[in-house]
Amino acid sequence: MQEVKLMKQVILFCIAMAGLSACGQQPVNNAVYPDHVGDIYYDSMTDDPSFKICDENKVLQYYNFGNGLMYAGEKIKIEEHFKEGLKSTKREKETGFVTIRFIVNCEGKSGRFRIQGMDIEYKDKVFDRSLSDQLLNLTKHLDGWGIGQMNDKPSDYYQYLTFKIEDGNLIEIMP
Amino acid sequence: MKWIILALGIIFHLQTNAQPNCNLYKMENNQLCYEACILATHVRSAQGSRASQMQFDKAIELCPGLDYAYFEKAVPYLKRGDFIAWKKLIDKAVELNPNGHLGYRGWCRYQFLRDYRGAIKDFEKLDSLRDYDIGYSINGDYQLNIAKGLCYKALGEKSKAIKIIEEQLAKKDYAPMSYDYLHLGVLKMEMGDLEGGIKSLNKSIELHDYLAEPYYYLGLIYKEKKLEKEYKSNMEKAKAYYLKGYKRFDPYTQPMDKIFLAEIERELK
Repeated sequence: MQEVKLMKQVILFCIAMAGLSACGQQPVNNAVYPDHVGDIYYDSMTDDPSFKICDENKVLQYYNFGNGLMYAGEKIKIEEHFKEGLKSTKREKETGFVTIRFIVNCEGKSGRFRIQGMDIEYKDKVFDRSLSDQLLNLTKHLDGWGIGQMNDKPSDYYQYLTFKIEDGNLIEIMP
Repeated sequence: MKWIILALGIIFHLQTNAQPNCNLYKMENNQLCYEACILATHVRSAQGSRASQMQFDKAIELCPGLDYAYFEKAVPYLKRGDFIAWKKLIDKAVELNPNGHLGYRGWCRYQFLRDYRGAIKDFEKLDSLRDYDIGYSINGDYQLNIAKGLCYKALGEKSKAIKIIEEQLAKKDYAPMSYDYLHLGVLKMEMGDLEGGIKSLNKSIELHDYLAEPYYYLGLIYKEKKLEKEYKSNMEKAKAYYLKGYKRFDPYTQPMDKIFLAEIERELK
């Protein structure tokens, strides 16, 4: 009886493998690249589980809509938000760029924030937490993101903000 | 004749970041680089997709000197804000073909990162390699000497910026681009040369009357000159143009001297 059960399992396994092969699945080197450059996958350790993406397989880029940066009141509103909210962190050697990348979902809400620091030589740099935490929190509080529309349907998209920092002072915001 | 075509092709091939002519590798009997070039120039997958990035890797593996593959592989990192990854790849393209990629790298440093010093360094290095024009920005909006002038402006060296822009505009064979006189007018206004500012901004309108910005800055100058009627009429025109979509726009970044509706409305209150 045990032999029959084992044989069944072997046959099922073989059928499953044959099925995968028939579906044309090829080994994919997922370790090297994500599906698309810059993809942000959900991380239960850091991301808000209540933040929902409409279509996980089709998160576009902000520039795909041809409207540039989409924010109520335009970019000047974002600049004012940081100008008003950022407390002075004047510190020598805190010079370079902080980029915060995130997703704006099909409802215009933002989530899955990722932060990257870079020095003026374009090398990795860890900025003082008092500065990077403030930039991250202020970014999370931006609530005027436009909803991307593709083929008359609301769409999720990736957005980033890059902060140019000199001696701990915010000089410019890109893009 | 064949050799003339080949020589011209190689010159073009070396001096631009446009798609290379793969047949040149074939003519040189360099089969691996020919195959790599075909791979790099025939990517069907979406920009930035895994398949696309892996195709560039394959091209680089076959022909490590193929600068175009590094250049193209770098693009999605730039557009998506991963400037560390972008810089490593574009540096490799520049190393392999400085004449072809320095202008592009400099422009991107200016456009995407406001890395003015880095951009100037690239433009000046390119200038030292060429005894002819250093070319245009990839979006076609600026001759790169004008972009260099804007970098100096951002660094506070406004007189130098004016000098660079005016020298470029004075060149015999140079046709002014759509925003050259706008920037020159704003610079002059900022330096207190109000008449010079008016002249340049009017020239901007004469050449390209599809922008709210020259009217806005003209309005600011007339405000300074206490000419209320001209101030208001220019601001109203700026607003009307802005609402029609006649304004500085770039799908990726916010151009220098761009204005926003809130700024015009603040003036009209």
